[in-house]
Amino acid sequence: MQQARAQDLGGNAEEGERLYYDFACYSCHGYNATMRVPLVGDASGIMNSEQLFLTYLRLRADQNPVNPKNSMPNYAVSTLSDEQAVDIYAYLRSLNDDPPELADNPVMQEMLDAAKARGKGNEK
Amino acid sequence: MTDAKRNKEKSGEISRRAFLGTSAGAAAASLLGKSEGAAAQTAPPAVRATLPGQSAEAADRDIGNARPPVAVRAVQRPGSDLMVQVLRDLEIEYVAANPAASFEGLQESIINYGDTPNKMPEFISALHEESSVDMAHGYAKAEGRPMAVLLHGTLGLMHSSMAIYQAYQYQTPILLIAGRDDTNFLRSQSANDIAGIVRSITKWDAHPRTLAGALDAIQEGYRQAITPPCGPALVVLDTELQKEEAGDMQVPAYVPPQITGISTGEVRAVAKALVAARNPRIAVGKLRTARGVSDAVELAELVGASTSTRATLVPMSFPQRHPLCGPGSDTDYDYTLGLETGGIQAAIIGPHRRTLEGRDVTGIGYGFIREPPTPLWGPYAPPKPSHNDMHADAEASLPAIIAEVHKIMSSSMSNAVAVRSKQHAAANHEAAVAALKKALEDRRRGWHGSPISLARLYAELWILIKDEDWCLASPTQFSSGHNRVLWDHNKPYSHLGMHGAGGIGYCIGASTGAALAAKHRDRIVINIQCDGDLNMVPGALWTAAHYRLPMLVVMHNNRAWHQELMYAQYMAGVRGRGGDRAHIGTTLRDPFISYAKMGEAYGVESEGPISDPSKLFAALKRGVDTVKQGRPYLIDVLTQPR
Repeated sequence: MQQARAQDLGGNAEEGERLYYDFACYSCHGYNATMRVPLVGDASGIMNSEQLFLTYLRLRADQNPVNPKNSMPNYAVSTLSDEQAVDIYAYLRSLNDDPPELADNPVMQEMLDAAKARGKGNEK
Repeated sequence: MTDAKRNKEKSGEISRRAFLGTSAGAAAASLLGKSEGAAAQTAPPAVRATLPGQSAEAADRDIGNARPPVAVRAVQRPGSDLMVQVLRDLEIEYVAANPAASFEGLQESIINYGDTPNKMPEFISALHEESSVDMAHGYAKAEGRPMAVLLHGTLGLMHSSMAIYQAYQYQTPILLIAGRDDTNFLRSQSANDIAGIVRSITKWDAHPRTLAGALDAIQEGYRQAITPPCGPALVVLDTELQKEEAGDMQVPAYVPPQITGISTGEVRAVAKALVAARNPRIAVGKLRTARGVSDAVELAELVGASTSTRATLVPMSFPQRHPLCGPGSDTDYDYTLGLETGGIQAAIIGPHRRTLEGRDVTGIGYGFIREPPTPLWGPYAPPKPSHNDMHADAEASLPAIIAEVHKIMSSSMSNAVAVRSKQHAAANHEAAVAALKKALEDRRRGWHGSPISLARLYAELWILIKDEDWCLASPTQFSSGHNRVLWDHNKPYSHLGMHGAGGIGYCIGASTGAALAAKHRDRIVINIQCDGDLNMVPGALWTAAHYRLPMLVVMHNNRAWHQELMYAQYMAGVRGRGGDRAHIGTTLRDPFISYAKMGEAYGVESEGPISDPSKLFAALKRGVDTVKQGRPYLIDVLTQPR
């Protein structure tokens, strides 16, 4: 039942944006879900479907004791409903990250060129 | 209501604070604020308070009716002049202090004594004693030697105690001088043994009772501070000694400490092993001074050893981009020597903080709350003891090892070293470029995002400073430490490392101290400043502005005590109560704080907040250009949380 609901619900990305902020998801994933533990694009397998996303959230809630090696906070259904979680999922799927390639990023390219030009043992 | 208070009210006596707290008092204070000169003429005289145990002189002083205390007397050659001469002989460059009555004699000598008054040392005004000590902490990390701090009796010591604790944890040498006055009007601010307040978190203290003893104690305090295990040392100087007539007393000549290196036999064994090794390696931890760093470089070059460094985490380690620094061309090392860090075959490790446990007279057990003893912060953790350790200062051992290697190395060995060094250099260069390329790929994410990616901040800043002589004075773990892989840490002061005990408020003071060191050395200081830290002791900004210090403050403004936000969020999750209230008590919202306005209020040229990443580079350039001209600059950047 829960699985069917999740698949059918879709989600409200606008509401998901508010929830993403209120539940401080940004604290680890960044305001645009691109930092530290990125969720945008193909960065994380749990973003492949709503169901995977929900399963990951709830999996943590079922662990007892909570795995201290995993820094992902626990989100039980009693604190973050399926509907809310799916809204967050919809928001995350609405985000894009299109950073320039290394070769097209003048700052990064200058850094790399400087490192290459540092020579092979000529300076201290 | 107590009888005393009842009687006081009945008689019309009222304390200054109570006076200002009344509406009449507030009106008077308001008048003073609007037209200080005129109001001062017309406002009623402040009512004299007589608090229990407080003298009339103390009450006068407390209400601002300052006048020279009774103890002041004219002398031809005040004892404090000799104290300043001792500091001058020690080449103490700065003395930071918040002014106070218990060291007014010494302060007057610093600013007026000699042909070059207020130089060596120069009096540096700090707005809080915590800032004073943090400045000395940052200065000592950058220069490898102490500056001094003046502290006021019990109160200043208490204000500064967290900063002293962090210097103690980091084994940073600082010369602390506390003024003490228990003879006149400051008894409530004094105590029999004021050093006892910080005895458990200082290396050494003394309370001399004669002027001659005071001069000796200052010299000994300096020696103690710089002798491993280094740390803050405290000298308590009574006001009477500062004001005493010195007569024809002479300042004793300073005798530097003899810091012990490894034994002659150990020197021979280490040199022999390095020379005989097919592929030697030297692991370098945190040495004490720049001289130690240059000696480590000389030894590595002499024997053609690849090296590891901690220069991305601490000051005074091996240059990160030296051709020999890296894994080398062959990672099958047959002899590894550790210098203030663990080595496989041998390690020279000087006495560390744990040898000071006997100083913990209060039994608090600072930093050793668990067994086995573990320091609170990892990157400067003393290495674990091993049976291969030689317990002596590595830096003091290096000259003898170098001399012995010279003595036993043949010309054929030198040729082999040259070949090996060339191979290492090529391999290390290749490894460094590959590591940088991977690091950059990993940091492309969120490049155009807003708030601004910290990786982008570090990358763009690097472009602007890489050809300058710079010092990254701020801890970087809260801003994800991108410098460690993106920047080149080649100077002893490239990165000054962490707080010592994670105490917030350290960063702005320590960076200001590093900027004091940088001021006359054509160096600029970079401070990636956390917002929570700045709010603890922002007054250091004024010190930076007042002394025209070359410090670039780039705010890592994530509008939170973010580590604690994550803790609260995680705890709520563990307890099944959700994370939507974790922001309570952990965030700096409603209202947001304007750091540009804060900087301007203290006289620092400032701009921001900047949230558009396309505008960051230009702002950073304005900042670097200003700092290069010898003025501090603050840029408020709205950043990603980490």
